[in-house]
Amino acid sequence: MDVAQVLEDVLEELTSIQKDVNKLKTVSVSGQVLRKRVKDTHKNWLPVSGVLEAGNIIDTAQLQEVAVAWTALVKLANNASPKKLYKAQLKIIITKTESELLHRFIKGSAIQTIGDTLRKLVQPIADTELLKYLDESIRCAETNCVRASVVLAWCAVAHMVHKKLTSLGFATLNAEFARMKADKGLMFRAFTKDYVFSTEPDVQEAADAHLILLCRFLTYLDDTQYKHLKSALDLRNGCGHPTGYQPDPVKLQAYYADITQLVLLNPKFA
Amino acid sequence: MLDKLKADFDGIMELVNKTPAPLQETAFKMILEQWFSANTARKPIPPPAPLGPGTPPAPGSVPDSIKPFLTANAITTEILEKVFHPTGPGAQLLASSIPGNGKANKLVNLSLLLCVKQALESASFTCTLKELRELAVHYDCYDSPNFSSTLKANKNYYKPREKGADLELSGPGLKKVGESIKSIAAGE
Repeated sequence: MDVAQVLEDVLEELTSIQKDVNKLKTVSVSGQVLRKRVKDTHKNWLPVSGVLEAGNIIDTAQLQEVAVAWTALVKLANNASPKKLYKAQLKIIITKTESELLHRFIKGSAIQTIGDTLRKLVQPIADTELLKYLDESIRCAETNCVRASVVLAWCAVAHMVHKKLTSLGFATLNAEFARMKADKGLMFRAFTKDYVFSTEPDVQEAADAHLILLCRFLTYLDDTQYKHLKSALDLRNGCGHPTGYQPDPVKLQAYYADITQLVLLNPKFA
Repeated sequence: MLDKLKADFDGIMELVNKTPAPLQETAFKMILEQWFSANTARKPIPPPAPLGPGTPPAPGSVPDSIKPFLTANAITTEILEKVFHPTGPGAQLLASSIPGNGKANKLVNLSLLLCVKQALESASFTCTLKELRELAVHYDCYDSPNFSSTLKANKNYYKPREKGADLELSGPGLKKVGESIKSIAAGE
């Protein structure tokens, strides 16, 4: 069963019934046709309700709330009942079905398939160190921990950036940072920090923002690539600190597409 | 090569004449560029390092299969890069908001753009309703009671399909999405 499609159909019919009820000039809903439409729509709702109940995407309490409103609405449709009672139950069902059931179901089914999508993106990566982070990140995504997934995937990016920069040798790395500090170009003039590295942990302690700026300075990234990687770092920082931002699976997929293309599969970082 | 160009020239002009008059010069230039790139002997390119079984093509490069669509709609790589990143496998929609007035217009534009995104991935201008719903929720243009009716009202943009089946762009759909891409790229 295409759950989203059935829920959309139910909502379409309920919205139409709601309009017709609102148009009535009588105090009660007595017409057989309208009452039958309510009962028919309820019959369409029941199987999808069963599917949602058996699944693990929808909160049972929310589903129960909609089910109670449906029971009340069908009871009203058994006899001529006051219009205002219809309006109240219809409003509850439509609002809850849309926001608490359908939207959650769509987001939930995106979570259920996100793992496959992300694994496809990282499939060409062979580095076992990177794969450790990425596998953990994808498993987080599959359990709807999107922020944790973003942070862990960045660990793979940081690992690769550290590895590449360390491979230059500390003397060269220190010299390149000094050269970048001296550069008065638009992109680099705000960088004023002095770095002296003598061990790998020193590099790991440097701010990621400065390390990727150096990658731009060393032309591992062009301006556009740098801009997108900086956005990915901003997302990582938003997810790694207490903020109100909650990225959805669509955002996570775009983030993964960026980091794989810009760093993880970029031959300049190999 | 000159003989082949002479032989193909009438066909090229026939194609150019099908485009609106103001675009004919651009179309002629683009078709000619494509012709030269297809018919010029290229230096052998060393094969890429093997990445493993089932590896997708290199990200970032525009697949050949969608080049006729780009040429017909006068969409350059620069324009495409402003809307999708990368402009090949793994393509993502860059737009922070979808063009259009109201949820219905936005939904239609989103569906068309997703078909191009899929074409960058797999050469077919298609889009699943599942993906469309997910992206529509993301871009806040999902109007559930009117989802089906909006698609139905704009059915000329898609090839005929059963209810619930994937969307595939028709000729008018391809033309419309070409305009949308240029409009997004121009920052309109």
